[in-house]
Amino acid sequence: MSLLQRVKNFVRSRSIHVAYVDVGSCNGCDIEVLACLSPRYDIEQYGIYVHNNPREADILLVIGAFTPGWEDKLRSVWDKIPEPKAAIAIGNCPISGCLYNRPHTLIDPPVAKHIPIAAQVPGCPPRPTEILSAVLAVAPVVFKDFEVKKR
Amino acid sequence: MALSLKYYLKEIFRIEWLKKFLFARTAPLGTPTYFRNFPELTGKTCTHALFCMMACPAPGAIEVIKTPEGWQPRIHIGHCIRCGLCVEACPNGVLSSGRILESMFYDNTALSFSFRIDVDTDKCMGCGNCAVACPVNKLIDAQMSFGGRASTDELLLMVSAGKCRAVHVEKCTGCKTCEDNCPNKAISVTRLLEAIHCPEEDL
Repeated sequence: MSLLQRVKNFVRSRSIHVAYVDVGSCNGCDIEVLACLSPRYDIEQYGIYVHNNPREADILLVIGAFTPGWEDKLRSVWDKIPEPKAAIAIGNCPISGCLYNRPHTLIDPPVAKHIPIAAQVPGCPPRPTEILSAVLAVAPVVFKDFEVKKR
Repeated sequence: MALSLKYYLKEIFRIEWLKKFLFARTAPLGTPTYFRNFPELTGKTCTHALFCMMACPAPGAIEVIKTPEGWQPRIHIGHCIRCGLCVEACPNGVLSSGRILESMFYDNTALSFSFRIDVDTDKCMGCGNCAVACPVNKLIDAQMSFGGRASTDELLLMVSAGKCRAVHVEKCTGCKTCEDNCPNKAISVTRLLEAIHCPEEDL
């Protein structure tokens, strides 16, 4: 492994930039993501930073059942994220639609139909520790030796 | 002067303090034991009462499945919202989650089910399909046939004066067979879930 690759691995393990996008949730999971920022859970001590700009992000947290308004927009948000990237579905809604998945609703779950999802965190809402451990579990799998794996 | 400066620097840049300052981590947060997590099986025998499925508010979250060991509730993660209603509703204590079973025991609480049958008299044409299909009716009057006419008054559903009528609603088990068999969607069954507090002397 080249020195450059080793430096990249080290930097990427300590600086994971996260953007979150709410594609129509009840706001419960948004608040749990917000709780990750609080001193009690404190994601920044693990080197995870919240930047709500997809062009700076490595990981996209997708929250909410998929509403028609996001039909073309979620794809464009995903395309703006530079490689290497991963998307994590937070909560039941992006996985199954949860309570909104009933007849005569407009939602279109799962989100995995629209963008590739690397990990799912079930729960309505999930605990902040579960979100945190999902991000920390996905990051090494996706980012470690990215250039080597691509070749 | 030099001595006091040295003293200050030594006080401020203590190795332990520097370590604490640079590599501080909050303690890894585990899940507390009282957390109401996804329901787990306690190992007691499931009697297929289906109260868990009746109480569950999330679509597709719980199913009672026949396994070689007998009936078994299965929680679908990704659908379950961890409300714990199935744990409270189960009459046999098959499921457990967090402290729900303990608190139900200490507080003497339980869930009671009742059902309400509404018939839209504008849509009902008195065909009697609901009364014939009803499994509760079948137990009471096995001879009941086309038209929903019966000999006894003890039935749950019966047709009188060309309209369906719910006579003994307290016998309803909430299976919704009548809803499925109604050609006009005139009949609807509503579940009424009520938390009750049993007084001490009742136990």
